[in-house]
Amino acid sequence: MAIAESQILDSKVPSGPVQEKWDRCRFEMKLVNPANKRKYTILVVGTGLAGGAAAASLAELGYKVKSFCIQDSPRRAHSIAAQGGINAAKNYPNDGDSIWRLFYDTVKGGDYRSREANVYRLAQISNNIIDQCAAQGVPFAREYGGTLANRSFGGAQVSRTFYCRGQTGQQLLLGAYQALMRQVSTGKIDLHPRREMMDLIVVDGKARGIVTRNLVTGKFEIHLGDAVVLATGGYGNAYYLSTNGNGCNVTAAWRCHRRGAYFANPCFTQIHPTCIPRSGDYQSKLTLMSESLRNDGRVWVPKQSGDRRAPHEIPEADRDYYLERRYPSFGNLVPRDVASRAAKERCDAGYGVNETGQAVYLDFQVAIERDGEAAIRAKYGNLFHMYHKITGDDPYKRPMRIYPAIHYTMGGLWVDYHLQSTIPGLFVLGEANFSDHGANRLGASALMQGLADGYFVIPYTIGDHLARHQFEKVSDDHAACHEALESSQSRLTTLASIGGRRSPNQFHRQLGQILWDHVGMGRNRAGLESAIEQIRSLRAEFWEDLKVVGKNEELNQVLEKAGRVADYMEFAELLAGDALNREESCGGHFREEHQTPEGEALRDDDNFSYVAAWEFNAVGEPATLHKEPLSFESVPLATRSYK
Amino acid sequence: MNWLVRCLSSSVGKKFVMGITGLLLCGFLVVHLAGNLLLYVGAEAYNNYAHQLHSLGPLLVAAEILLLLLFLAHVILAVVTTRENRLARRQEYAVKETKQGAPLLQGFAHNWMFITGAIVLAFVLLHLSDFRFEARLPGPAGEAPYDKAVRILQNPITFVGYFIGCLVLGVHLAHGFASAFQSLGVNHPKYNRGIQCFGYCFAVAIAVGFASFPLWGLLFKH
Amino acid sequence: MSAETLTLKLKVWRQPNADTRGHFETYQLSGISTQMSFLEMLDVLNEQLVEKGEEPVAFDHDCREGICGMCGVMINGQAHGPDRETTTCQLHMRRFRDGDTIVIEPWRATAFPVVRDLVVDRSAFDRIIQAGGFVSVNTGNAPDANAVLIPRVQQEKSMDAAACIGCGACVAACKNASAMLFTAAKVSHLTLLPQGKSERSQRVLKMVAQMDEEQFGSCTNTGECEAACPAGIKLDNIARLNREYLRAMLCSSDG
Ligand SMILES: Cc1cc2nc3c(=O)[nH]c(=O)nc-3n(C[C@H](O)[C@H](O)[C@H](O)COP(=O)(O)OP(=O)(O)OC[C@H]3O[C@@H](n4cnc5c(N)ncnc54)[C@H](O)[C@@H]3O)c2cc1C
Ligand code: HEM
Ligand code: HEM
Ligand code: SF4
Ligand code: F3S
Ligand code: FES
Repeated sequence: MAIAESQILDSKVPSGPVQEKWDRCRFEMKLVNPANKRKYTILVVGTGLAGGAAAASLAELGYKVKSFCIQDSPRRAHSIAAQGGINAAKNYPNDGDSIWRLFYDTVKGGDYRSREANVYRLAQISNNIIDQCAAQGVPFAREYGGTLANRSFGGAQVSRTFYCRGQTGQQLLLGAYQALMRQVSTGKIDLHPRREMMDLIVVDGKARGIVTRNLVTGKFEIHLGDAVVLATGGYGNAYYLSTNGNGCNVTAAWRCHRRGAYFANPCFTQIHPTCIPRSGDYQSKLTLMSESLRNDGRVWVPKQSGDRRAPHEIPEADRDYYLERRYPSFGNLVPRDVASRAAKERCDAGYGVNETGQAVYLDFQVAIERDGEAAIRAKYGNLFHMYHKITGDDPYKRPMRIYPAIHYTMGGLWVDYHLQSTIPGLFVLGEANFSDHGANRLGASALMQGLADGYFVIPYTIGDHLARHQFEKVSDDHAACHEALESSQSRLTTLASIGGRRSPNQFHRQLGQILWDHVGMGRNRAGLESAIEQIRSLRAEFWEDLKVVGKNEELNQVLEKAGRVADYMEFAELLAGDALNREESCGGHFREEHQTPEGEALRDDDNFSYVAAWEFNAVGEPATLHKEPLSFESVPLATRSYK
Repeated sequence: MNWLVRCLSSSVGKKFVMGITGLLLCGFLVVHLAGNLLLYVGAEAYNNYAHQLHSLGPLLVAAEILLLLLFLAHVILAVVTTRENRLARRQEYAVKETKQGAPLLQGFAHNWMFITGAIVLAFVLLHLSDFRFEARLPGPAGEAPYDKAVRILQNPITFVGYFIGCLVLGVHLAHGFASAFQSLGVNHPKYNRGIQCFGYCFAVAIAVGFASFPLWGLLFKH
Repeated sequence: MSAETLTLKLKVWRQPNADTRGHFETYQLSGISTQMSFLEMLDVLNEQLVEKGEEPVAFDHDCREGICGMCGVMINGQAHGPDRETTTCQLHMRRFRDGDTIVIEPWRATAFPVVRDLVVDRSAFDRIIQAGGFVSVNTGNAPDANAVLIPRVQQEKSMDAAACIGCGACVAACKNASAMLFTAAKVSHLTLLPQGKSERSQRVLKMVAQMDEEQFGSCTNTGECEAACPAGIKLDNIARLNREYLRAMLCSSDG
């Protein structure tokens, strides 16, 4: 991908010490008169933690809100699937945590590719989130005395993770959902489930509406307002197999990108090392097994490539505990990306287990012998149960088989400190934006970010936008509405009438394979270049050979899928292009050309300490790169090492 | 009182009323069974009991009215809720299997509550026409209560109707008794098993107790 | 466990939309791996249907890991199929035998009209929550999370109830199509926490009223819902709802 003209992006971060930026920003913001709030309509797309929290909070302030989601109920956004927990700098365990430490860990964990000011604000707000959620009735784990319990998560040295059994995301989402439904009952939120956003309506340079498709009737609708909040989650599903849900997609973000919102750091994707491997071609998704398993499990593969013996028949001497071998001090507890790459390396070299050769063992035998089966059951019972249910194997008797899978996407639409994209009036929250996690997200930080954005950032920053601008009345027959509506409709009609032979699912699977092979855990120039070629030709085939059955004006899941795959086809090229542009290894982005002799990631701070924000030009044409330089004043640059 | 009507006419409220009337009817059954068990003690005891009961006068009338109201409330609500429950699923499943793995009788009992209730109602109507109104088998004037009971119980139709009626009542109670506690919100791991067990025992005692009379009448012809 | 393959006969409910009558359609499927999930089996069926130019079977699903509550069909007359505490998406084909006939129907309840094929409209659940299944606390109003202590046992009980995924299997399995288990789970979750106490009377009264309005049936304590519930919600929650209702009716001014 050729790089066109560069321009420096303004992140609107206030000046002053990092601790005071958010206060200063809030003070400098213009406010909307309480009596005027009900005159504004805000469209909130997405009902996950970010969107649900935003819709509820904005309605509480008095704005009129319209809320949209793909699923049949707002409660089913994929935030529901988060298991592990949510971070906050409460320091309840008195173990040395602080806002500064959470800030520091997050910047460092993100491998110095995030914006310091945003991360600091996130750490600051983290405590309010826990208060808010507890007040809503989120049943966080407690100590016997009644105070909140914490655990350490994802290798953090302090216990700062709050959790609700293995269902933290579910409980936090239900809290936001309930707050949202309360506002629905007061009439301040107008709920639109089973709607898919198909396009953004931009009037006079401001985001003023969206085009949606009613997934039940197939009808297209125009919704107008004074600002649009996009909280549509991550794009992990571009890879076909991921831990994401079926409804996760890039469509909403991509349509905004095509309308002028820059897409930042798409190549920053996170792979989770402990997922249940795929068992065959029919596999539709991958299930995550909590990382905590690596606290007691030992990862190994046979020493002999192609060893087909059952695991318990392989003697100790013939096993390769490769993480312990390569990283003697961290062993099985190396960070996600390191563990993932190591597994891929073994499998690519032919040592993988499973029928597919794409799996490694996670063995609890030693832990069971040491602590007893009961202790292991108490710790991981539900995970073992889930594993058993899915694979039919009993992990108490046979080592688990695991393999890395796409899990989270740090990249997303570029936003400034106000969470506003490059289109005024389009705000982007949660996983859909790029802002806080840099090149790698720490465990239990995504939930924190989604809720911070929704509960505590957008309610302020959107007011500033509304108070600073004039909003002339726009109606459905405005030319911009017509254009957006017609282009979405005709796009779908075209998809439905190609009349080829292959289903959208087949194309999606093929695209996913290309991305996984070349833009997955290990990336290199040749691979990326070939991936871009392959994506282009697959996209051409897609528009010639796609087969969609059924009608447009009814519930048609094949057609829905076709629309989403069409957008992945365009997006994938940007993803690969960004990976090609970033000639360094950092966080989840590993360029094989840039590693130490020991195989560790090599960052290039001199040349790549920037956010890559891409501007759309046309399909198949290179996007224009805009750079937002990153500076690290509070957290000095350092190299990660897990030796 | 508005609030009471409003609350009691909700689905949950109706179940309170059913539960309470059901349990009060259970109370009546206990007393009724005890009274009738005097048949086994002898004619004198039974006749004395009957006379004493009838000498209560207005009190007895009040009790009878209360009993009637209990039955009416219970039956009317049974009809209303059963109808509503049918309407809550207009289209039935082609295949429906339980996932409970519960003992056969238990599954049977709760699935057939309306039917068992209706059979009990039919029995009660028959029974009232026999004992209260003497419509089916009129006896001589001034007949002693003991003789009347024996006469009616010796009739073969009585045997079939009463025997079946009383056993079906047992089935109704096998679910109904414990169910009433759940409906009234009494559910605690400490007591659940106890209530459940007591419910079964109660159902069996009532069924066996009452069913023994027609059997006795048929087998021990005097 | 090594994979085997199955040949199956599926009888699937097909209904183009809410206003059209539905019927069963029979399909033969072969080569189904025992490692597949039930929904992956339906994916395979759908791919074959698309290939033939026929309309695929519409069914709801999202997370495919048993937590979002979007999936759910009647499988041989059992909500979410034969396994206990298992959603349809977590049911695997190793549970079936070669040559089996599988009857697949949508949830059936007046309050859950069929949208298409196996997809039903469960928005009645949202309206029940909307009626009172929340704590009224605006963003920013909260005291420190540790200001209100909640004994662990209490919190665990609340969490047991809060685990409901809103799938609707309880309604589907109940012979009265009653939503009591779902409603009771939410009432219990909130009433067991100090945060939920102040609105407890209003909440239970309003939620039950909404439940009735949606035309769900009443509970005759059949217990089938508990057996079908993938989230392990227990019947004692229904008793708690009844208790809360009684309390609200007799001891509060909200009655
Ligand atoms: C299996 C798993 C486990 C995780 N565990 C953790 C954890 O333990 N801790 C942690 O911090 N993070 C975890 N994460 C990450 C975290 O859950 C997510 O990043 C976060 O919940 C995303 O929230 P969100 O609100 O941005 O998006 P989502 O919750 O994905 O919500 C997206 C919303 O947008 C709607 N939407 C999408 N596209 C459209 C469209 N075109 N039109 C209309 N609506 C649309 C959807 O319907 C949905 O309502 C986990 C993620 C996964 C997948
Ligand atoms: C002596 C007579 C009867 C007794 C002692 C009795 C007792 C009970 C009890 C204790 C219950 C449980 C209530 C609850 O769950 O809250 C019940 C329920 C019920 N009864 Fe009766 N009943 C009697 C007669 C009848 C009659 C005549 C009918 C009429 C048709 C009937 C129909 C029902 C129905 C439909 C239910 C509800 C089913 C359920 O809750 O599972 N009953 N009864
Ligand atoms: C099978 C054994 C039974 C016998 C021998 C028996 C006997 C009697 C007798 C002697 C009377 C008194 C009639 C009168 O007042 O003159 C009576 C009344 C009555 N019995 Fe029974 N009974 C039996 C079972 C039942 C059962 C199972 C029920 C309830 C389901 C029942 C319900 C009633 C009622 C409602 C009355 C009327 C009470 C009144 O009007 O005061 N009986 N019975
Ligand atoms: S109570 Fe159980 S069955 Fe009912 S909706 Fe909740 S999770 Fe589903
Ligand atoms: S199955 Fe139905 S009858 Fe009650 S106990 Fe469950 S709601
Ligand atoms: S698809 Fe989410 S629970 Fe089954």
